Amino acid sequence: MAKAVGITPTRMELLRLRQRVALAQKGHDLLREKMDALVIEFFGIVRRIRDARVKAMRRLEAAYHALSLCFALQGTIETHQAAREARKELVVDISTRHVMGILVPVFDVRPIERHALARGYSLYATSSALDEASREFEKVLGGLLKLAELEEGARVIALELEKTKRRVNALKYVILPGLKAMVKFISMRLDEMERENFSRLKRIKAMLEARE
Amino acid sequence: MSFKIAVVADGETVTGFALAGVLETHVHVNKEETLAKLDELFASKEVGVVIITHRVAEALGSEFRRRVRVKKLLPAVLRIPDKTGWVPRVDELQEIIRRTVGAEITVKEGG
Amino acid sequence: MSTDRIIQFELARLNVHLPERQITLKEALSSPAPHVVARDGSKHKFERGELEFLKEIVPPSDWDSLRLPILIVINPKLGRGAAEIAGRPEVEVVSSVLKKEARGDEMVIYRPEVAVLRAKLPTTTQYLFMVG
Repeated sequence: MAKAVGITPTRMELLRLRQRVALAQKGHDLLREKMDALVIEFFGIVRRIRDARVKAMRRLEAAYHALSLCFALQGTIETHQAAREARKELVVDISTRHVMGILVPVFDVRPIERHALARGYSLYATSSALDEASREFEKVLGGLLKLAELEEGARVIALELEKTKRRVNALKYVILPGLKAMVKFISMRLDEMERENFSRLKRIKAMLEARE
Repeated sequence: MSFKIAVVADGETVTGFALAGVLETHVHVNKEETLAKLDELFASKEVGVVIITHRVAEALGSEFRRRVRVKKLLPAVLRIPDKTGWVPRVDELQEIIRRTVGAEITVKEGG
Repeated sequence: MSTDRIIQFELARLNVHLPERQITLKEALSSPAPHVVARDGSKHKFERGELEFLKEIVPPSDWDSLRLPILIVINPKLGRGAAEIAGRPEVEVVSSVLKKEARGDEMVIYRPEVAVLRAKLPTTTQYLFMVG
């Protein structure tokens, strides 16, 4: 039974409560749809992450391998030196995409392979091993950026999913039952009052008739 | 909008990415310096993505995870294995899935 | 009363990602950076690969009438997990992607189909929630 604290059992109040029930029900239904849609989005992105990871990790291994060779053939000091000299110009274009009111990042991933001459390290020290290592790392970056975009997207969607789930559960298990209990309480109380009223009227009528 | 890429890793990994032209690099030596660098990178409006090796991320522990939790949408954070191929036993994404959807789904796979 | 306000807020937020104005496939194909502007002012980009795919499956005579993003209309009145697609060229695209027979200006699809559609066309489709 509902606690009758703070509610006045009037017709007006009952009407207002019924409107609140309708709003909460609509909120629940729509947020549950949003939750379902977020689950679709989340698993879609997880599947893409799985594919992107396999590819990127393979590339990364190749890059590390080329780098190890470079250290061995070119010498550690020389490789570090070339890395210091290399032209640092790499940028990535990032925009955003909306997924149901959530902003997820979109990386514009273009191939970033550079010409050996464009890399900027002094050519007297270069070797094919150095070029190879540089090229491999340029190649791996595209895949890693794509992966970063997807993983960040998954994180953001998961957060929203958790939040939406909490809201849906609160509506379903707390707010709606509470409101419905109040509606029930007021309508019962109003019925009761009506019956009291009715019997009072009957008594008055009886008294009036007795007087005649 | 164009953003810089940052790499936080051991010296060798950093060297590889520097060869490719990455603009922001930090060689992990100790926790304090790396965390300070991460604070700087996360606060920057110019950095779009921070690539960090699993090993360094693990060394930073909860301090790192907390920063990732409270950061803005950008920079995005990506954890990658270093040349040893080491990845933590618990996959972050798999954890998220278990928490949010309550399902066990394999994301790893050769990763 | 504050719970009502939270619900109102959440309902208002459901559709902020929708564009102020859709663009046609023709406009999208001829733009160097095809995008629409969402109600909150943010940009929503269309991926070139998806546009190329649409170009393949939509007859050129419809490039002027197919409007992007294609809206996946979620209406709780249809029951949980059901969605509507409206417009003849839009219905044709969706029926071709899903390999599902459909005629006329409207079709109803269900959650697994929505998942397939979203996987195939992540930037050129969007959800619209019927708040009513």
